[in-house]
Amino acid sequence: MSKVVEISPTTRHEGHSKLVLKVNDQGIVETGNWCSITPVRGVEKLAVGKTPEQVPKIASRVCGICPIAHNLAATEAMEASIKCEIPKDAKALRNILQLANRLHSIALHDILILPDLYIPGTETQINPFTAEEPVRTVAKRIQRLREIGQTIGQIAGGDCIHPRNTRIGGMYRNCSDQAKIKMYDLAKEGLVLAKAQMDFMIAVLRNYQARESVSVGGMKVPLPKTLGYHNQGYMATHAFYGSSSLDECPTWDINRFKEVRPWDWYMGEMEVSLEEPKYPVGGTTKLGTKVNPQMEACTGIPMYDGQPVEVGPRARLATYKNYDEKGTVGQNIAREMEYTDSLYEMIDQIDALDPNGKVVADYIPNGDGSLGWATNEAPRGCDAHIARVKDWKVQYFSMLVPTTWNFATCSAALTGAPWQLAEVIMRGYDPCVSCATHMIVLDEDNKLVAQKLIQ
Amino acid sequence: MLYSEIVIVGCGNPLFGDDGFGPAVIEELEKLTLPDNITIQDGGAGAPHFIFNILDPSVTKKLIVVDISDFNAEPGSVAKFPGEKLKPGTYTDPHTWDGEDQLCRISEKIPTTVILCQPGKPIKKGDADVDMDLSDVVRNAIPKAVRVILETIGVDYGTTINLQEEGSRRGTAEACGHQER
Repeated sequence: MSKVVEISPTTRHEGHSKLVLKVNDQGIVETGNWCSITPVRGVEKLAVGKTPEQVPKIASRVCGICPIAHNLAATEAMEASIKCEIPKDAKALRNILQLANRLHSIALHDILILPDLYIPGTETQINPFTAEEPVRTVAKRIQRLREIGQTIGQIAGGDCIHPRNTRIGGMYRNCSDQAKIKMYDLAKEGLVLAKAQMDFMIAVLRNYQARESVSVGGMKVPLPKTLGYHNQGYMATHAFYGSSSLDECPTWDINRFKEVRPWDWYMGEMEVSLEEPKYPVGGTTKLGTKVNPQMEACTGIPMYDGQPVEVGPRARLATYKNYDEKGTVGQNIAREMEYTDSLYEMIDQIDALDPNGKVVADYIPNGDGSLGWATNEAPRGCDAHIARVKDWKVQYFSMLVPTTWNFATCSAALTGAPWQLAEVIMRGYDPCVSCATHMIVLDEDNKLVAQKLIQ
Repeated sequence: MLYSEIVIVGCGNPLFGDDGFGPAVIEELEKLTLPDNITIQDGGAGAPHFIFNILDPSVTKKLIVVDISDFNAEPGSVAKFPGEKLKPGTYTDPHTWDGEDQLCRISEKIPTTVILCQPGKPIKKGDADVDMDLSDVVRNAIPKAVRVILETIGVDYGTTINLQEEGSRRGTAEACGHQER
């Protein structure tokens, strides 16, 4: 007979989410629901009536992890709506900024997944904060890679967290010759470190994959060879950067996208019937607790061609490089492979950048109310922003952020795994939940308030 | 290095009313000419993930964090707390690591000062009734916070406060004593 177990809150990712799992007598997930429980930001509502210059700045404040992707996608959605082409050197600076953000994010994700993995040849799970070797060297390398990513982002974007150099029509400033050389030197240093880090991570991930069982909170859990497999398909719009409705050949089609309500997709009200106090951190939800993913989930379910899809590093590699490894380990390895790819591309972009070139478009239209969209391949996947600008006022704005795409796909990938490994599968998506929350489902009085936002 | 000898970080989200105090103070500081050994950084919503866990104690010798917090004072009051006063929080995992706990640990290696402002009204998570702008009392506290920061880093420009108080008039022909002809 099926039992219900709930892991709330989930850990080692940004934002607040939970896993509600219906499991069989052997503890294998029959149906899994991963849902966001982060309070709504309402950024789409805030944007209406603002100027196109204000909205990317607002969008970049939606969370503290991917401000760069949101800033770039929002800026380019505005440009797509007003039909403004930007100079090539502005585009190069944006590419550099985007790749610097990706470099930092991959390094940060390494810290988050390392505690699940083992030092090869031992039964010791990795504590990334230990002062002991070989982990200390790895931790120092990760910190240096983060520092390189932030520094390059600061030079290209004007700020390493919430970039301020981007503007509608291009960038406020180009960089100096000296700054270009500094970015180049940092990228070259980063490339050596990234190669070493990629090799280390792939080694420990392969070691994990080869194990018969793993330890979770002191429990020995069998490791299935199909951990995290799903058949939902992938969606990526560019190997590195993104696409826009202004492109000659756009790689995303807004007509193939639709969003459905969580109550069409998630399980309804249930009661927790399995509790495990040893599960980290602090045990699972108490027996008898009522759970209702349909009504508690704070996101819509975006679909492409009628199905939820996976976005992120594996989707990019599968689409553009014929990568074909499925499952959680395959997904994490794809992310590691993006380390060096990002830096090679960054070096190419820095090479192509002319510090004396213009970075602002000659003419910036006020907008005629046309619908424009832009996607940005954020570290954790395709971030699609849609906008309508008329007379320099934003009439409509929508953010379809990576983790929103991944919620339903990851939920499908939980099926067949031991419930104790559900978080390992979820972490493979490097979730950033705060920005994924972009609609209200219910208020405190259980009143429906979401429909206006998802119509 | 990304961060220098003295690092000043403004934390908070400008979309969330008075929570934007930290970034607003940083914006004011950016108008001043400060020594080269000072990094001023709008930490926004990302300071715990981007800044606090990447600082190098061999480089950074002083950390100043500007934020908004309820400490049972009059709205708009500005207070300075040494890092040693911070209490460890509950550490769950590196990604949901709260800022106070991180600062508490950093302050053992980098002398840390936290400069806080009392909000106009208590900031509640999920509060739908919130403006994007700072309340007047908190906006008026920005010059005081700037003065406290300058004192803490040992910079005395003398005229800074007057400039701050002049607010939007600063830089105009009238404020500079010139009449437009």
